[in-house]
Formats: sequence, C-alpha cells, structure tokens
Amino acid sequence: MKRIGVFVCHCGNNIAGTVDVKRVAREAREMRGVTFALDYIYMCSEPGQALVREKIKEENLDAVIIAACSPTLHESTFRTAASEAGLNPWQCEIANIREQCSWVHSDREKATAKAIKIVGTIVEKTRLNESLEPIPVSITRKALVIGGGIAGIQASLDIADSGHKVILVEKEPSIGGHMAQLSETFPTLDCSQCILTPKMVAVGKHPNIELMTYSEIEQVSGYVGNFTVRIKRKAPFVDWSACTGCGICMEKCPSKIPSLFDRELATHGAIYVPFPQAVPNKPVIEKDSCIYFNTGKCRLCEKVCEIGAINFEQEDTFVEEEVGAIITATGFETLPVNDLDEYGAGEVPDVIDGLAFERLLSASGPTVGEIKRPSDGMIPREIVFVQCSGSRDPERYKPYCSKICCMYTTKHALLYKHRVQDGQPYIFYIDIRTGGKGYEEFYHNAQEEEGIIYLRGKVAKIFRDGKKTIVWGTDTLTGRNIEIAADLVVLATAVIPMYSTAELVKKLRIQTGPNGFLSEAHPKLRPVESINSGFYIAGAAQGPKDIPETVAQASGAACKVISLFSRNHLEQDPAIAWVDEELCGGCRICISVCPYDAREFDEENGTATVNEALCEGCGSCVAACACGATQQRNLSDSQIKSMVTASLGGE
Amino acid sequence: MTKVAYYPGCAMNDRASHLDRSARDAAVKLGFELDELDKWTCCGAVPPVSEERVMNLIAPSRILKSVRDSGRDTLITICDFCYNTLKRTNFSVKSDIITRKRVNAFLADDEPERDYIETDDSLWKDYTGEVKVYHYMEYLRDVLGYEKITDNLKRPLNGLNIAPYYGCVMLRPLNEIQLDNPENPSIIENFIISLGAEPVKYSYRTECCGSYLSISNPAASTRLCYRILTSARNSGADAIVVSCPLCFYNLDSRQQAIDEAYPDFKALPIFYFSQLLSVALGVEYSRQGFEKHYADVSPVLDKIGGISGKGDAK
Repeated sequence: MKRIGVFVCHCGNNIAGTVDVKRVAREAREMRGVTFALDYIYMCSEPGQALVREKIKEENLDAVIIAACSPTLHESTFRTAASEAGLNPWQCEIANIREQCSWVHSDREKATAKAIKIVGTIVEKTRLNESLEPIPVSITRKALVIGGGIAGIQASLDIADSGHKVILVEKEPSIGGHMAQLSETFPTLDCSQCILTPKMVAVGKHPNIELMTYSEIEQVSGYVGNFTVRIKRKAPFVDWSACTGCGICMEKCPSKIPSLFDRELATHGAIYVPFPQAVPNKPVIEKDSCIYFNTGKCRLCEKVCEIGAINFEQEDTFVEEEVGAIITATGFETLPVNDLDEYGAGEVPDVIDGLAFERLLSASGPTVGEIKRPSDGMIPREIVFVQCSGSRDPERYKPYCSKICCMYTTKHALLYKHRVQDGQPYIFYIDIRTGGKGYEEFYHNAQEEEGIIYLRGKVAKIFRDGKKTIVWGTDTLTGRNIEIAADLVVLATAVIPMYSTAELVKKLRIQTGPNGFLSEAHPKLRPVESINSGFYIAGAAQGPKDIPETVAQASGAACKVISLFSRNHLEQDPAIAWVDEELCGGCRICISVCPYDAREFDEENGTATVNEALCEGCGSCVAACACGATQQRNLSDSQIKSMVTASLGGE
Repeated sequence: MTKVAYYPGCAMNDRASHLDRSARDAAVKLGFELDELDKWTCCGAVPPVSEERVMNLIAPSRILKSVRDSGRDTLITICDFCYNTLKRTNFSVKSDIITRKRVNAFLADDEPERDYIETDDSLWKDYTGEVKVYHYMEYLRDVLGYEKITDNLKRPLNGLNIAPYYGCVMLRPLNEIQLDNPENPSIIENFIISLGAEPVKYSYRTECCGSYLSISNPAASTRLCYRILTSARNSGADAIVVSCPLCFYNLDSRQQAIDEAYPDFKALPIFYFSQLLSVALGVEYSRQGFEKHYADVSPVLDKIGGISGKGDAK
C-alpha cells in the first residue's frame, strides 16, 4: 500500500480565511492510503518546501499531495521539491483548494467540507498514480522569423549572432517594414533610415541568416523543437541571381501604379523595388499591373535588361524547411482613412494618415522632404493633426489606445514647424500620453517653444469646402466649438494588426486577442512567448508599440529562442495518451478527434498509435475511444471512477 | 393591389397633406396601396430627445399593437420623426423585457373589461415588437427594390442634379435604426439615381437644419439652413430632396428669413422625396401642392417637362 502525505497550505489568509485548514489536515489523515498530514502557513516558501522534503524522508512517503493553489501556479515547484527528496515527480499532486474553493466561497463550513472532498478525490487519483519519466525530444537548432520589419530584423540578428541559423521570411520584396517609411524618430529626431538600413544590410550579409523576401508561410506542422514549414516563394519574374539591381528596367516601365511604400502619394512601374535602400535591392514584377501579363504585349523591361535577367516564365516555388522555433513579428497597419466616415471617408484629398505624412517629411519621399499637400502641391499654412482617429472609440472603431500617436503627432507638428516657420499646426487630442524615456520632455518642448496649438477635444467632422478642408471640433477646456479651415489634415489613425496576420495565425495555430493582436502567454511574466510552446512573438503584431519597445521585445524573443536551443534535448510531459493494442479495434475515431495531429494509424498492426512528441494530453481521444483502448497516463478510467466516487462522498 | 399599413403622422395629415398625397399616388403607380390605420394618434414625436423611459413609449406602442392586432406585420411611415419614434419604440419593446412589461401594463388599460391582475391570456396578447417599421424609402429599397422604380419611370428626371439631405433622425442612432451608415449614407443617393437624376455630393447632407430651434431660436436655424442650402447650391444642385416634414419646413419656408439675413443667398427649390417620386412616375404636377412651396420649383420642372406637367406624362 502506498504511503501518501498531505500538506495543507494556509496561503496566509487566502485559504485559511475561508477554509478550516486544520480540520482538512485532520480529516485527510483518516483517508485511505494517507499516512501523514499537516498544515503550514506558506507551503511554497522555502521552509514549506523543506518541510515537504523532510517529511518524505522521515515518514518514508511514496507520494505527496499539496492542497494549495492552482497547479498552473506551483505544480512544477512542488514536483521539483519532491524529486529532490527522491520521489518520482509524478507522485506529487496538487489539490486546488484556493481558486476552486476558498476564493469563490464565503461560507466557512461548506467551503471546508468542499476542500476535504477535493483533497479526497486527489488522494484517490494519487493512490493509483504510476511513476513516469519525461519523454526526451530532439531540437532542430534553426529558427524561423516571420516578418522583416525592425522586430524581425532585430530578432534574426540576435539569434544569428549567437551562432544559430535563422530563416527570415518577408512577404514584401524588401525587408525594412514600416520603420523604413519613417522620416525622423521621436524623441531624438534621428533619421529612421540612417539607423535602420545598416541593420538591413547586416541581415542581407549575415552568414547565419537565410533571407526569403517576397515569400509567405504556406503551412506549418510539427511541434516545439521540430517544426516543418512550407514556404511559398512568389515569382518575381526576375532572375535575382543574375540581376545587378541597375534599375534601368524600372526607369523604362510604362506602367504607373500607386506606391504603397509612399502611401499612394507617388507611383512606380509594374517592375519595381519598394524603395532605393531595399534589401535585397532586386526588383519584382507585379503581375496584375504589368502590361505584358495583361495584354501580351510590351516586354520593354526584357529588352532593356542587358544581362537578360527578366523571366516571364517564372512560377511560384515552394520550399520546405525544418526549424525548432518560430518568431512571429508581422507588425501592424493603420486603420484606412476610408473607414473613417466622419473624416471624409477617404474622399477628401487633403486628409491623409500619419504614415503618408512621414513620406511627405522624408528626404527620400515623393516630395523630397518638402511638405506639399496631395490635392495641388500647395505648402499648407494651417495644418490640423487629429489624434485618436479610430482609437479609444469602442462604439465605432477600436477601443484601445494606439500608444504611438501622441508622440509621433507631436514630432510631426514640430518637424512641420521647422520647415514651414510661418505655418500654424493644431493638434486635437484626448489626453497626451508620453510614457517613455525623454518623451515628456520632447512634448513639453514642442508645446512651450514651438508654437503648436494643442486643443483638447475630439474632431466631429472633416469635409472639403473649395480648396480648404474644414475641421469641426470641440475644445473641451474652454467649452467652445472650433472650426478650422485647414490646408492639410493628418489623422493619427488607429494601429491595427497587419492584415495578413489573421490568416497566418490559423496556419501557426497561435492565439490572438479580441482586436486581432497576437496573445502573449502571460501579460506580465511571459510577454514574448505564445501559449503554444515553440512560438514566440515580437513587435507591434502583439500590440501597438514604438521602436525602442519593439526592439526590446524582439531581443527578448530571440533570447528565449537561444535559451531553447542551448538545451541538449526537450522534455515532453509523459502524462499523455497511450494505447492498449490488445483492446484497439482500429476504428480510427481517435485520429478524427485529435486536435494536435498526434494520433496515427499503424497499418501493419491495424491499431492506432500515439505520437508522443505531439500529444498534449488533452484527453479527447480517451473520451472518444469506444473500447477503452486509449488511456491517459495517471488519469485512467479506474482513477477517474474512484475520484468521482470520492467526490460524491462514497468509499 | 397589395395593401400595406400606413401611419401618416400629424404633419402629413395637416400642413403637409400634399406630401401625403404624393406618397399615396406614387404607391399606386408602383402597385401597392398605403392603407391608413383606422384609428391612430400622435406618435409623440419628441421621444428621441426625452429622458422619460416609459410614458413616451405608450402612444407609439399602441399604434404598433393595433397594426399587429389587425393581423399585419409591416408598417410604413413617411416622416423621419414618426419613423424614428416608432422604430425605436419597437426596438425597446422587443429587446428589453422590463420595458415590454411596463408598456403592456399601460396598454392593458385600453381594455377596461380585461382583468389584468388575474390574467386571462386567451383574449390578451402582449405586444412584443412583432411589427416591422419601414420608412417609405426603406420599403422601396428593401421590399420593392429601387429597380422597380426605374422600370416604371414615366418622366425620368434625367439631367437634374439633386442634393440629398438626411437631417438628424432618419439614421440615428445606428444600433436601433439600422437603416444606413449615419456618417456616410447612400440610401437617398441611390433613390435619386433610381429616378434618373444625378445625386450631388456636398458636405452638409448629414448636418442639422435646426429642427425645433426654428421655434425657440429661429436665428440659429436660419444660419444652419443657410449653410446647408449654400453648400448644396455651390456644389451644383438644382434642388434638395428631403424625407422629413420638419426639414422640409426649415429648408423651404426659412429661405425668406435667410434671404433677409444673407445678401449673397440664392433660393433653392426643396422637394419632398415622395413628390419627386410621384412626378417621375407620371403623376400630374397639379397634385403635388407645389403652390405651397416658398422656393419656386418651376426652374426644376422646366428642365423635365414644362410647368403644366401634363403633356409629356405618358
């Protein structure tokens, strides 16, 4: 007969305030198999753990039960303590009498009775527990990074510098992301390109980084340490290995399509690189806009390319890669101006978004850094910035704060004022949020020294009147309605997840929150991991973020990957499904219900099997198995039956 | 001919009876009949701006219940205020069980012989929001289909530039009305297109005309109407089309005051949507009550077929 010890935790007053812990320990001592029980104020503290180790030896215990908080919190703590005292870790169980009892009840008598029952059921489970060994799983020490913005760039460089291989996949023809579009960055006003492009070049040259631009994730299978990824490499219709990036094809192309990089303020040909500093600096042909692909005539680029790099016959190719960890850094977009009905629904030409204004400010932008409005090229004398356009508006748009807009709008107004000294910028705001090093000082300077007028209130409506763009708003500090006949309006539109993220997370099977941003495993303590092991997240794909924060998170995610790769092998929890081949009838129902693709079929034996590396121990197949052939280790049918009996008060 | 329950409302029954007539005429041309309720009261009109939570729902609920009790499930109204009041009342009664119980307790007083304390449910059925309230234009769009109008045009309004005007209560609040996007609507534009005319884009189509301020602060209403009318005219409109008798009153009759206050003002004809509809479907001008308008509509009528309006209506 197993000798079981029960340790009842007070958790200060968290449990002892509602549950008579002394009585729980007293009653536990009378249960079948229990030879020892005590209560203690903080079981998880070092003296508490020492007590567990001591009593295992003194009382010669075969198994221990800690009646305390949820197993998600301290199961591993106590299993480690138990194994230090020589017990198999799977002989240590948690009875949750806090979250499932003391915290949700107030009647002391009833709560105590319930706590005793909870302990009783776990005693029944523990009596039949087997000793298990963790299942070793090998690791492929190569990482996949999805998204080539600053987050993906930073994470790739950090992992590559540690000596591990990285595949960086970017859907656009070049890496760089939104940071490449920015002019100067707050609060230091250093040029975005100047700090970004060296990193882009480093990625392009790094021996440990395999860069796959113009590529998309097609399919992901496998599990932590052993993923198989299928990547679609879109046909650029240019032989990149031959192309020298001379650019003559782009000059000659007669097509004109709006440049997404320039936020449609400029055009480029159907054969293009998004911007001159692109990495790789090789063009692609956009099939839908190419005259040859549409009409069968033209091929001008082919004629002018001296080395014959143009290849209209190219097709999309697919590659399969084995990787051990995946970082998702798919970044953000901003809510389209077209979605903001009250702000002109995209039909007023001089209403643009913040990224478009960045392009107007940028020395490499369509106006070479001169601020000219889109409708007629006039230099705006009165300019209105509208913060929270679509943010902090749960009724109509996004409920959350987009976080970066207070700072970048201040920067916009300041840079505008530096270039158009007699111009007047106005900023409509709800609150100014400047949490960040040097941010408040930056804002303070702009407000005090630069003559920017801050108006606290929301803008109700924006519309065109002749050449002016009329802004109706309210100044809630004076209680007056404001009407400004502006020359240009810049909307700080809400930050939203990159459109492709929704499709990608389905392939990766990782979680997103209500607004489509990637979910972290724990909002405070595990901010760079997804809840699914082997998946890490970085940058604005997880939520609106500025550059410093994005870089920090990317390095954090890289560190987690490096730490994973530093282990000899991974250990898989052995408390998973197994099959009694004698009983298995080969009906395959287990295969159909498994959400993790962990159930397979052995054609030779005619029986179902379990891929131990994939099984998460969810129990779906155990429940579905008609003949009881599939069982869960340490949660067998007989264990469950005696647990149910105990919970109903039987013997 | 299909008969559809029709609630005219106070304005259509009195000052704006010509608008009511045009709506009925047009319906006949389109193959249905506006069947006025046997007994109806004022809808209340002000509930949209009232804080009261129950009393203002009684009159509209009684109207809706009478439609339901007559075995019909559709009610048409042609006034934005009636539409707003009836539709929002229906929404409250349908979605909030406490409101529903309170309202029905009051309605039960209509039948004094009913002992509603010891309920005999065989004779009484609570009104639970069964009737669907349609704006006339909504009925045309969703039930009949605008293409049906186009198919039956006798006097297409080709060459006319018409500015749509939405006012305040036709579309708001969105979650209760669910007719169109209040910030960037299109229902009147598409209606104008179905008549063969060209909708005019201008910036003030969803701005307020002053509404009841016309009585308490006429100067404010005058200023608001001036902006709307001037913006529409500057954007090339031959006329404005409205769907609310109060908007009609403000935008049309107020032009006299605007003329006195703003020297640069030029008059602009205002049409009720039902007038344009019935004109386009071939009803004589003489039945439209144009003589009651302040702003002269003849420049517009000249463009589509003469002041008599008889000769070309085939």
